[in-house]
Amino acid sequence: MDWSVVWQYRDALVEGLAYTLGISAFAIVASFLLGVALACLRLAGVDLIKDVIDGYVEIVRNIPLIVKLFFLYYIAGLDAFPAGLLAMTIHQSGYITDVITAGFRSIHPEQAESGYSQGLTRLQILIFALLPQAAQISLPPLTSQFIEVVKNSAVVMFVGVQELTFKTQEISQMTLRSFEAAVVATVLYVALTLAIAKGMNMLGRRLSWA
Amino acid sequence: MSDVGRVMRRSAAFRIAFWTLVLIGGCWLARDFRWSVVWLAAPFLLRGLVVSWELAVISVLIGFVTGAVLAAGRLYGYFGIRHAAIAYIELIRSVPQIMIIFWIFFSVPALTGVVLNAWPAALIALSMIASAYLAEVVRAGLMSVPKVHRDSAYASGLGAVDTFLRIVLPQALRNMLPALIAHVVMIFKVTSLVYLIGLVDFFRATILVNNRDYAPNALYLTMAIVYFCCNFALSSLIKRFDPKYTLAA
Repeated sequence: MDWSVVWQYRDALVEGLAYTLGISAFAIVASFLLGVALACLRLAGVDLIKDVIDGYVEIVRNIPLIVKLFFLYYIAGLDAFPAGLLAMTIHQSGYITDVITAGFRSIHPEQAESGYSQGLTRLQILIFALLPQAAQISLPPLTSQFIEVVKNSAVVMFVGVQELTFKTQEISQMTLRSFEAAVVATVLYVALTLAIAKGMNMLGRRLSWA
Repeated sequence: MSDVGRVMRRSAAFRIAFWTLVLIGGCWLARDFRWSVVWLAAPFLLRGLVVSWELAVISVLIGFVTGAVLAAGRLYGYFGIRHAAIAYIELIRSVPQIMIIFWIFFSVPALTGVVLNAWPAALIALSMIASAYLAEVVRAGLMSVPKVHRDSAYASGLGAVDTFLRIVLPQALRNMLPALIAHVVMIFKVTSLVYLIGLVDFFRATILVNNRDYAPNALYLTMAIVYFCCNFALSSLIKRFDPKYTLAA
């Protein structure tokens, strides 16, 4: 083993980590917003919209991420970076839609009914009564979805986005030190995962309003 | 319900008509793709699909057995065994699946000098992934059986082994079935990542055909449809076993 390789290529590893962080952060925020919007539409919307969203979720959940990525990159003709961001956002939004829907489903219908009897509009009920409760209930499954985003961000290496796994492979090809490179990447991924779990845990304690 | 809602109220005839129109529209848009390429390459693609299914099924079988051992270790093991099981499960679950394939195919050979072919390396990596995820499924299944059942079995004079095999396990198996199928879907999707090490599964087979007779529209659409059909068939099983089950990995 020769750990000097890691120090020698520290810039590459830091750059890869920065890409992984950036892609993951974007995909987490975007897929969360898209997922919440779709879940609300599915809850409150017209039946046809509900059908279309059901179809979207089924299609998204049953096709591997790498297939979506190649679709966006080779057929839609996007550049590598936007294709990666979009593919990851679409991929995770399907799962998050289902997580939020399950959160809505666990709320008693009386919550909405008492909102009606108070004269609130549908939108007000959604924003002030249902969403806060659903957010709290879906926090643990959302945590694993966000961790899933970080893990899936490795897939975008296949179109040439230079994130952590890409850099690891590059270093191992240049130096033939794949063990050392993989150890460092693994430690970094575990640290990222633990950080998300810890952060969501703290957020959960902050959000204990209901 | 809004006015639009009343107009579009769910009726079977309307929904069938709508989705038929969508389907016809899709076919019309795809009419000029070079489907002959797909048709001529079909035997090769099918062989790739068989490789994907073999990888998924074998690794789920191996992963279920080793996952059950890991779950038992995590739940009932002594100090060292329990912590080793937790460390293994959490490590595999918090690292990208590509990294694990990378470990088995590149890193372990670099360290030990034992060189693996693509097929055994892919199988080992996928089995390791499956074992960690399925260990959690098995653990949740075992924990879903109320402790009272075990206590009552002991009280009626059953031994530890009989209690586990006849009382806990049958109930746990039934409870874990939906999550188990959901993870088969997950593993089937993960098989597409063996692209990294050059194994010709369904995904790489499609890419290879596209590299030879450039027809990305038809080929990638076929790929998406085939993956969708395989996984949709699997996930429909979940709904059959548990209509309330909505969350998957």
